[in-house]
Amino acid sequence: MTEEAPSFETALKKLDEIVQRLEKGELPLEESLKLYEEGIRLSRLCHAKLDEAQGRIEMLIKDARGDLALDEEGKPKRVPFRQS
Amino acid sequence: MEQKGLDFGGGAQPGTTAGPPPRRTLTVSQLTERIQGLLEVDLFDVWVEGEVSNLKAAGSGHWYFSLKDDGAQVRAVVWKTAQRLIRFRPRDGMKVVARGSVRVYPPRGEYQLAVEVLEPLGKGSLQQAFEELKERLQKEGLFDPARKRPLPLLPRRVGIVTSPTGAVIQDFVRVLTGRYANIEVVLYPARVQGPEAAGEIVRGLRSLNRIRSLDVVVLARGGGSLEDLWPFNDEGVARAIAASRIPTISAVGHETDFTIADFVADVRAPTPSAAAERVVQAKDEIAARIDGLARRLVSATDLRMTRVRGRLAGLTSHRVFEAERGRIRGQGQQVEALSRRAARGLLGQMERSQFRLRRCVERLEGFRWDRQVDQRRQAVRRQLERLDGLATNALAGRRGALGGLAGKLASLSPLSVLSRGYALVWDGGGRLVREPGEVEVGDPVRIRVRGGDLGATITGREGS
Repeated sequence: MTEEAPSFETALKKLDEIVQRLEKGELPLEESLKLYEEGIRLSRLCHAKLDEAQGRIEMLIKDARGDLALDEEGKPKRVPFRQS
Repeated sequence: MEQKGLDFGGGAQPGTTAGPPPRRTLTVSQLTERIQGLLEVDLFDVWVEGEVSNLKAAGSGHWYFSLKDDGAQVRAVVWKTAQRLIRFRPRDGMKVVARGSVRVYPPRGEYQLAVEVLEPLGKGSLQQAFEELKERLQKEGLFDPARKRPLPLLPRRVGIVTSPTGAVIQDFVRVLTGRYANIEVVLYPARVQGPEAAGEIVRGLRSLNRIRSLDVVVLARGGGSLEDLWPFNDEGVARAIAASRIPTISAVGHETDFTIADFVADVRAPTPSAAAERVVQAKDEIAARIDGLARRLVSATDLRMTRVRGRLAGLTSHRVFEAERGRIRGQGQQVEALSRRAARGLLGQMERSQFRLRRCVERLEGFRWDRQVDQRRQAVRRQLERLDGLATNALAGRRGALGGLAGKLASLSPLSVLSRGYALVWDGGGRLVREPGEVEVGDPVRIRVRGGDLGATITGREGS
């Protein structure tokens, strides 16, 4: 299984769809229960994704000519940006 | 010059009366009241032509600005209630004609023009350039709503092009991280006013677009005059925004300021703080939304299960099942009845058997064994005699049949042929002679005729 975890948007959208389908209540019971389990899984995934990213404020550095200063890997250098 | 007190009274000529003229001192309020009386009566309804400057939309919704020309300026206000009738948005640098009344504000000793009617008067050169570019880009389709991309619901990394100093970036970061702490911000420091600004903003947009994994790019600047905001009306900036791979938010100036950047960007935020609010919903709100969905998920499923259980109960109590149950109950009763009957029948049978048995015993007890035995013995003897007779007759018959059979057998014997005059010839070796070639002349032979054998010698042969 190489199934990639869905993005936050996709997961939330799917969850929304599942809830709406279940609320219509027209599905066979077995399918409903399957969707229910999927929905619970998605809501957990969404919560996990909410906390996933790291908070960080950085500023790019420019050289005298105004070009971005690069590090050894050729990526733009960044310094932490100080909040007042 | 004679030192005299100031004469506000007028009328009395110096020196013509004895004693100093009466000094009439006004209070500040009285003076202001007189000024107010003069100005507000005389200038109750005036038309003024001038250029808008320092326009500010106050939190109350009123617009405050100055009307100026080369030599003077006058404060002006458009009350919120009057704005409905004004068909355009005044901007700094615009030449306008305002109609209104001069009002004095006694607590501050200030007067201003309360504008009721405001109309644009020609166009300033910047304004003209702005309109021209706007029209051109619009025709090109750069403002097309179909081009607008939605912002990601939960961006992880945000790029921002703005000044690294000043309140804008601080406000932006504070609001952003306040709503959602775990977000990454990459700041491209750029000048946002002056002749270099447009070029730096363009490079900033391009640089941020080269950083992978940025989810949204913000272009931000605080409020300022039309000239201050001018870099955001630059065509190069507009095209860089349009070319951005990443969705863009333009947050330039105040709520009332519109720039070309605002039109091109995917989203226009009225202020940098508002941009931060647009970038990410408060984490609490998102979490609440997920929880809301999860709750609905559970309750929908609960409801479903309750319904299913109800239906199941309803179905099983349905009259079809009722009838079935009735039938089953009926059958049960039948079975019970049958088994009861069976048991009863068995008992009856046993009773009857016992009765018969008893009768048998009674009969057995009264039985005359000797007579029975005699009778049986005679019967056996009669049978035996009959058998004997039968056997004798059968034997006689068989014997007759046997005789007949023997006669038949005899007629088939070669010997019976002899009795009809035929003879059998054997050669000297005892072999039966069937043809003349089987013997030579002079061979001794034996001939059998009925009654015995004859000795002879072959004297001649005929035939083949």
